[in-house]
Order: sequence, then C-alpha cells, then structure tokens
Amino acid sequence: MYEGIRSPVIHTPKTLSEFNAIALRYTQAQLWAGGTYLMSQKNYYPSEIKDGIIDLGGIDELKKITRNDRFVEIGSMVTASQLLYAGKLVLPDILQQTLQTLASQIVRHQITIGGSLCIPDVRLALSTTLAILDATAEIKHYQNGKVSSHWIQISKLYDKDGNLLLNAEKALMTRIRIGLDFGDFQRFFTVEDPIRNTDECVIFAFQAKRTQNTLSKAQFCINFPSKAFHMSKDLESKLTGQTLPIHPEKVNSISYELVAELTKQHSNITDLQLERGRRIFESTLHALNAQELQS
Amino acid sequence: MKIECTIDTKALSLSVNSNKPLSLMLMEDVGNRSLMSHCKGEACGNCIVLLNGEAVLSCIIPAFRLKDATITTFDSYQKTRQCRDIERAYAKTGNTPCPNCYASKTLIIESILQGLTNSRTNRMPNPMTNRSQHEDNASEMLNKQDIIQELSLNTCQCMDMTELLEIVEIALTFRRRKRVRRN
Repeated sequence: MYEGIRSPVIHTPKTLSEFNAIALRYTQAQLWAGGTYLMSQKNYYPSEIKDGIIDLGGIDELKKITRNDRFVEIGSMVTASQLLYAGKLVLPDILQQTLQTLASQIVRHQITIGGSLCIPDVRLALSTTLAILDATAEIKHYQNGKVSSHWIQISKLYDKDGNLLLNAEKALMTRIRIGLDFGDFQRFFTVEDPIRNTDECVIFAFQAKRTQNTLSKAQFCINFPSKAFHMSKDLESKLTGQTLPIHPEKVNSISYELVAELTKQHSNITDLQLERGRRIFESTLHALNAQELQS
Repeated sequence: MKIECTIDTKALSLSVNSNKPLSLMLMEDVGNRSLMSHCKGEACGNCIVLLNGEAVLSCIIPAFRLKDATITTFDSYQKTRQCRDIERAYAKTGNTPCPNCYASKTLIIESILQGLTNSRTNRMPNPMTNRSQHEDNASEMLNKQDIIQELSLNTCQCMDMTELLEIVEIALTFRRRKRVRRN
C-alpha cells in the first residue's frame, strides 16, 4: 500500500433502495460501473477518493434488458458484449454496428452502457448513435435527502462540446429506452480510435426515414471526441422533405453548410477532422441517393 | 482491503488498496515476471491476463472486483497444452513477437482461439434470454475484421497484421486437430 493514502471503502449495494440510502449518506462517493474510463486516467492510482466507491456491479435491477412493442429498455449496467449478443433481433443495425466498433471484444466485456454514456468529458460512439435514435435515459437525482427521477433525451445530456451536463456525483442513470420506430436508412462511421487518437477521430451517425421518394425524417450527429458533439436542427430540417435523389450540387452545398456551422460553433476542430466529417456526411447522402435509385 | 483469490493456481490472501489495478498488484504484490510495465492509461495492451478464463486488460480491473477470482497470468499459461498450439504456430511461421509483448499477444491469440473454437467456460448469462453467451457465441463466429480488432488491442509494432493472422490461422488448425482427437 502507498503511504498516506487510505484504501477507499467499497460500498456494494444489492438493490436500488440500498443504493439510494448509500448515495444520500455518502454524497462524495465515486460511482463505479465498468471502470474502463476511470482506470484509464493517468492519475487514477494512487489517489485519494473521498467517501469511497459505490460499486454498481451488484445491483441486478440495472442489468436487465426488456422489450415490448414500442421500445427496448436497457439497464445501465448491461455490458456492451451482453447487449450485442442479446440485441441481434431487437436492436437497430446501426446500434449493433456501433457496439462492435466500440472496442475489442476483450474490453467490450467490461464496458457498461451507462458508464459509456456518463463519461464526463469525452463523447464516444454510443452517445452519438443513441442521440440520433431519440433514446432517452432515466436519471435519478439525489439532492437534499430526496430522490427524484426524470427521463431525459440522450442528446440533451451533453453540451455542444460533448461534456456531460449531469453532476454524476448526485445522479444515477438507471435505464436507457430506445424506441423501435427507427428509420429505414442508417449509417455509422468511426474514423480513428477516439481514445488513442482523439485529435484525428470523427464519429458520425445518420438515420433517415423515406416515404415514397421523399425524405420524411433525417437525423444525424457528428462527434469529435472531447471537442464537439454536433446535432444540427437546421440541416436536419433542410434535409427533411427533400425529394430523392438529392441533386449532387445540393448535397455539396449542404455538406459545406455543415462545415461552416462546425467552424462557427467549435473552434478547436482540426482541418483534418473537418474535411473527414464533410466527406463522411457527403458520402452518406450519396449512399442515400444510390439506395433510392436502386429501389 | 483483504482480497482472497487464486493467482496461477496458488490461493492467496492479499492486503492491498481496494482500488489498486490488478496489473500493479501482480507486479508489486505477487512478483509476477510476465508483466513488465504499467502504462497508466496509455492503452498499450501489454497487461493481458485471464480472469476466470476470460482475457482482460489487467490495468483496468480494480482489486475490489477480484474477490474469489481465478487469475491466470502468462507465467502459468505458458506451461499449458493450449500454449503449445500457439508456440507451434510461431515456430511454423518463423515469426515470434518481441519479448515486450510476447505474453500479451499470446494471450490475445488464446482468447481469439477460444472464441473461434467456442470452448469458453464460465460465461455470464445473457440478461435478455437467460442463455449463456456460450450458446450465443455458437452463431457469433469471429470474422477476419473482428480478429484484427482483437489483435490491435496490443499496440506493439513488432509484427504486422498479416503475420499475426497467419499465426492465428495455423494455431486454430492445431487446436481443432487436438479437439478432434480428444473427441
């Protein structure tokens, strides 16, 4: 053991009500889901942790996946591997693709869905895809000795730079709900490793619904980890209602509008990332056109 | 915190900080020789061990998650028959990883072989279907892209991906032959 550093107390609640009691008593305690992000921080060990660690691994209520006709509900402690195996029949293709690219199988066994969404400063692939799928998360807040529960859209959990807006010390994500009414055209791209090569990484998710030869709904999210988490309502509404195939000149102009928006709102994105983002966006729209022309 | 676990077939009771990474425990408290460095979050992939039969990065496993766990490091894995398949594949291709990543790359290949031959044990139940992942894996054969993704976990550049893929392929042939003979 390191001198002067006390071993943190580990709280291991078995139920949510036990967790509530512990969380209200030890307000500074660190919540522990899979631990992949926390332990990959340079200053993780040795370090002092006030009020100890609350290990969420023992709470079975957070490890369930349920499905009905309208939505799938995923417990926040379900691992990426478990969701990938379970989700073949119930989840949209884009989410499966996202889970596969999240990390290697060895690490996927450890990454939890809630943990991945609640990283404070870096947005990874899962947040990007869930944001365009209009997923919502149940958040329990612990304040002044009271527990309150709210459903919040995943896209509203983060600011424009991708920082988590929740105070993780006083809140717990328990479930994620994904509606089953998703678009018939979905694309997901990730370029470079978001952890090892943050400065060059681009994560992009897109889904669209087509009615006859018109885009009735288009949603996309472009994510530059630790720099920008960008969803553009303006461009989405410009795309919605377009007749397919979209004219190549229009595709070109919309993709440059995206670049202009990104440059205006986020100053720290590198030129390489911007160009990658633009080309991915443009090629997605061309793929949408190609699919329309084939059908 | 007192942790009771089995490391390389030895039942140990260790007194360590509850949040200490397994990689540091193995280096500082157990004196393991196959782990040589602690990358502190650099994600170098050089600290693979088998935790309850499953490959994990030991730098992201805290001590408090190790109660009653069985840990197999390369020190004891290299004495097993499974390791022979991979060593024979190294010999056959004439390509061997460098000493820095030898242990980790071998354990990653073992994890891939387990996935491909579907021989994993001690699996977590699938929360949706209550089937084991073992059953699910039957239809989840790793493809080439997945194998590359697994092998990329170790960032050492001593071998290229084509060489590693060839080793996996040959080791898999040895492993399957062994299984056929056993059956």
